[in-house]
Amino acid sequence: MRWLLRRLGALDLGRLLRASALLTLLALGLMVWSMLQPTPLPVMLAMSVGQVLGTLAFAIYGYVVIADLRRKLRARRAGAGEAPEARR
Amino acid sequence: MATSIFSDPFLAFGLLTASASAVVLLWYLVRRPALTRATKIALLFGIGLLPIATAGNGNVAGFEATKERRFCSSCHVMTPYGDDASNRASESLASRHSRNEQFGEESCYACHANYGMFGTVATKLGGMRHVYEYVRNYRSMPTDEFLATIQIREPFPNATCIRCHSTANPGFLRVGDHASALTEVRGGAVTCASEGCHGPAHPFSKAARKRRAP
Repeated sequence: MRWLLRRLGALDLGRLLRASALLTLLALGLMVWSMLQPTPLPVMLAMSVGQVLGTLAFAIYGYVVIADLRRKLRARRAGAGEAPEARR
Repeated sequence: MATSIFSDPFLAFGLLTASASAVVLLWYLVRRPALTRATKIALLFGIGLLPIATAGNGNVAGFEATKERRFCSSCHVMTPYGDDASNRASESLASRHSRNEQFGEESCYACHANYGMFGTVATKLGGMRHVYEYVRNYRSMPTDEFLATIQIREPFPNATCIRCHSTANPGFLRVGDHASALTEVRGGAVTCASEGCHGPAHPFSKAARKRRAP
């Protein structure tokens, strides 16, 4: 898990978010296909692969938002630490 | 087998939320805006809330679609069963029940679903087993061979019949065979849908089996 988070941390957040958007579009495509043509294959794909892709995309989005907030918080703390020195 | 968006509100709402989500996502992918609070909120809708609404509506629409006879008979091995049930001239038990408005287009599901607290889940799991068996064993099997080979996995439960045809009904008990075999019928020792009683429900498949028997 830590290894995965470390690997994810090294990736560009914008690229991760674009991947998440693409995964969501793919999941939506499967869901729409199953709704317009409710035969066994599309329905099963939408309810299995579609759900997994959608959940994965949302998890990536959640990770990106949290990682971005943490980065901003770290930058703010670093800025607050530097400020008194700059005044001197 | 397309469903009309005018007759199914789940389908209409599902398509609406999917379209809205797609617009947000395409905007993000094309414009590539900075990750500001506004972008995050827009993507919360595009990646989270709207697709979840689509999935919810899609699942309900999908579950409803899996109850329809057209869905069951869309695999070639089930087509003769669906055709017989839809045939208004057929005298089979399946066809007669399909002509009943209470069963209608969902006649396969009405008779073959499990009932009780986890009935729907058990039915869907059973359906997944059908898919597995179909892909593994029956996908390329000619229909004639299939009709002669396959049979219902477990004996058809009388409880399904008794849900509508109550054994406590005076009209039911007036029939001599019903009254004499009441305990066996209620206990499942005698099957309502067996040959000689009211069945078989799909007689053409039994005829095919007899033809192939040595």
